[in-house]
Amino acid sequence: MYNILVVDDDKEIVGAIEIYLKKEGYNILKAYNGEEALDIVNNNEIHLIILDIMMPKKDGLETLEEIRKDKTIPVILLSAKSEDYDKIGGLNSGADDYITKPFNPLELIARVNSSLRRYVSFGALEKEENGNIYKTGELVVDDDTKKVTVDGKEVKLTATEFNILKFLLANKGKVYSIPEIYENVWNEEGFGAENIIAVHIRHIREKIEINPKEPRYLKVIWGVGYKIENIK
Amino acid sequence: MNNLRTSKALKFVSYILFPVFVLLIGLSIFHLAFLDEYGNTGATKFIDTEMFSSDYVYYITDNIQNAYNQKNNGSRMFMQLEDVNGNEIYYLNRDYMYSYYNGINEYVDFIIIDKETNAIYTNMRSSDYNKEIENMKNATKYWNYDNGNIETNMEYINSNNIRYNSTYQYFVIDDVNSGESSTYAVDKAITGYTIYSRYNPDRTGGLTNYKIVEGIYEFCLKHKEMPIYILPISVIATFAIGIYLCWAIGHEKGKDEITLNYIDKIPYEILFLAWTILLTIFAAGAIECLHIANYITVIFAFVLYFICYIICAITAVSTIKRLKARKFIKSFLIYKVGKWMFDKLKKMFETIDEKTTENKRLFWYYLLFIIISVMLACLFYTGIAIILLIGFWIWAYYKLKKYIIGQEKIKNALKDIYEGKNDVKLNEEELTGVLKEMSVYVNDIASGFSNAIQESLKSERLKTELITNVSHDIKTPLTSIINYVDLLKKENIQGEKVKEYIEILDKKSQRLKKLTEDLVEASKVSSGNVKLNFESIAIKELFNQTIGEFKDRFEEKNLKIEVGMPEEDIKIKADSRYLYRIIENLFSNITKYALESSRVYIDVKEENRDSNNQKYINISIKNISKDKLNISSDELMQRFVRGDRSRYTEGSGLGLSIAKSLTELQGGKFDIIIDGDLFKVEIDWPISR
Repeated sequence: MYNILVVDDDKEIVGAIEIYLKKEGYNILKAYNGEEALDIVNNNEIHLIILDIMMPKKDGLETLEEIRKDKTIPVILLSAKSEDYDKIGGLNSGADDYITKPFNPLELIARVNSSLRRYVSFGALEKEENGNIYKTGELVVDDDTKKVTVDGKEVKLTATEFNILKFLLANKGKVYSIPEIYENVWNEEGFGAENIIAVHIRHIREKIEINPKEPRYLKVIWGVGYKIENIK
Repeated sequence: MNNLRTSKALKFVSYILFPVFVLLIGLSIFHLAFLDEYGNTGATKFIDTEMFSSDYVYYITDNIQNAYNQKNNGSRMFMQLEDVNGNEIYYLNRDYMYSYYNGINEYVDFIIIDKETNAIYTNMRSSDYNKEIENMKNATKYWNYDNGNIETNMEYINSNNIRYNSTYQYFVIDDVNSGESSTYAVDKAITGYTIYSRYNPDRTGGLTNYKIVEGIYEFCLKHKEMPIYILPISVIATFAIGIYLCWAIGHEKGKDEITLNYIDKIPYEILFLAWTILLTIFAAGAIECLHIANYITVIFAFVLYFICYIICAITAVSTIKRLKARKFIKSFLIYKVGKWMFDKLKKMFETIDEKTTENKRLFWYYLLFIIISVMLACLFYTGIAIILLIGFWIWAYYKLKKYIIGQEKIKNALKDIYEGKNDVKLNEEELTGVLKEMSVYVNDIASGFSNAIQESLKSERLKTELITNVSHDIKTPLTSIINYVDLLKKENIQGEKVKEYIEILDKKSQRLKKLTEDLVEASKVSSGNVKLNFESIAIKELFNQTIGEFKDRFEEKNLKIEVGMPEEDIKIKADSRYLYRIIENLFSNITKYALESSRVYIDVKEENRDSNNQKYINISIKNISKDKLNISSDELMQRFVRGDRSRYTEGSGLGLSIAKSLTELQGGKFDIIIDGDLFKVEIDWPISR
């Protein structure tokens, strides 16, 4: 039973999040401003914090700063601010994730699960990569069993999708264009089938990403190609 | 009355009749004068008149003189022919004599015999002059002279009327009618000659002067009564036509004012000069023709006289028109020039009074310039004044040049401001006088302009911030709505209606979410408030990726994608995320608004249409709209507008506006073409190599 602290000055939002996360089996603590949140953090064992940015008394970023002074608990920022610089600013202040309002409940749950898992199993789950297991962040591809898991959950991929993902993951961090992927996966020059690859990649994204429009692992670089982000 | 005044036909007739009557007046007066001179002599033939007789005797005496001169003074009036019967023959040189004697030489034969040498002076060709002399007396008119005795059948020059005054050496002919005498100078030498002569109408087959004169003479004598009624009629008619023309000239049908044509616009001096010159030329020609006087030249003379009449008529008509239009004085060139100068001077003096200081200054400077120039010019002979004057002119030129250069600077500064440069600044110290003043104002305008741009940028930024902030405030309650709607959906609710209502709430809240997001983006993009991160993009790859992203959604609507790509890989500079956003918006529109089961054409071409060799990539995306596009392409690109306002609930209506703004931000051109149901987007993107 993990304790999750939800901080937002909007009580209804806190209420809704509570409902969703309780269903997932988490224990919820609630705070309606930064100071309350710090109080709770200092007096309880908290495993994850969902933190709103714009709050009275002490805003989310200040609170985060306070927390980060002595704690490494995962913090997911939840904000109506959706600009790039808001997200970057938030993540740079020490947040582990950033969710914009209005959010998709499923996405919130997925991100909470993912962050918690990383935090709890940090170090313990750090398997050594051998020749047949490819890994980035919480995405693991096992070439022997042909199994793909994200955040510990198995994902069903078709054979083609698996091959593409395996290829990109094996060369993580490197960008490949469609013809390059085609040549490497099919071992032949691909003409006319260009957007087939793109379709496959979208399908893969939909399966392995929490939010396919803002992918964490399989990134699209428009007009250049695709790559798997190298996440430790 | 007015018809009379404007009738073209009547005027034409008048123009023709007027000279006819004038001519008739002239002829009548001539006729009367002629009758006064010769009317009472009773002669009916010209050869019976005193006029003929006096010409005749003048011709003969003159030739006696010629014969005398030939012998004694060596003149060559006669050429010597071969002797006939031992006599010397001298023949009159026709060329010399031609047309000299008013034509009488064409009708008179003479033989003049020098008593001393028996030489014959004649204008006749003959092998036997004695026989010719015999025949003389048989002629209609003859006149012989020998040693003071005159033998003739001509009334006015017989021995009763003509005598030789030996003291003064001339013939005296007494006029029977008037009692006056005419004298014909002859030398004393006449006593040394015997003369035979006669009238010979067949001499040259004569079509010349004398026949005409004879005809006129006989006509005049025959119709003595003619001028008595022709003259008054002609005078009255001339006056009547003249008055009519003066009254009617210049009036045309349907016009109240005098109509002036191009001739009336010619300055009057020039018209007058032209009239004088042309009249002189043609009249002189006519007179010369009459002098030569045979039938052909007479006809020609009349033609020339007619031309003279036309010239005079044109001048006269134009004069009358000008007078009637009260433009006679004004039509003088000298008047126009004078008036122009007067006006200019007047204006110059008027404007000095105006409170434009520059104008005043210009006037006084200019006056000073003239005065100094004139003064120096007056002292020209001193030599030094020339140098001073030239120096003064050069000085004035540099002064003027400085002013012009300053003006140019200000003009360029204004042009820069006009073109939107915001760092325009003139160096005020470089300029003087009014230009300095102007430069101060220009600098003020420039800085004001630059401030205004800053202000507008600032206000645009504030607007974006406002929209962003408001959207944050909307998003928070919206989050609750979406979440609780979602929670409601998960409750096990009975009742179809409630489910339906929740469904609507869900849809609308999602739409509200999309709308808020798009609104922020649109406001950011349209104010240029985005940070662009340019990188090299392969257009082919981009389209393959994008089409891949949308493939399922296209297939859902059964849309067939037809892609036309260039062979080579073309790269453009763009911010890849925003470029994708553009294509994404367009594709998303297609999935929403394209006719199901139709084709969508995507063509990418490389084009080279600029003069400065700038290459473009042209992206054209075409689809058939499922609804009627009753809207202009410009309207479509405005914010919040959708093709058919009433029907769609998806989308925010900002997609095209965002796409257009994003394209333009990155230096491209975005156009929408609507042709019936064909919806076409054209994007031109510069290729940088």
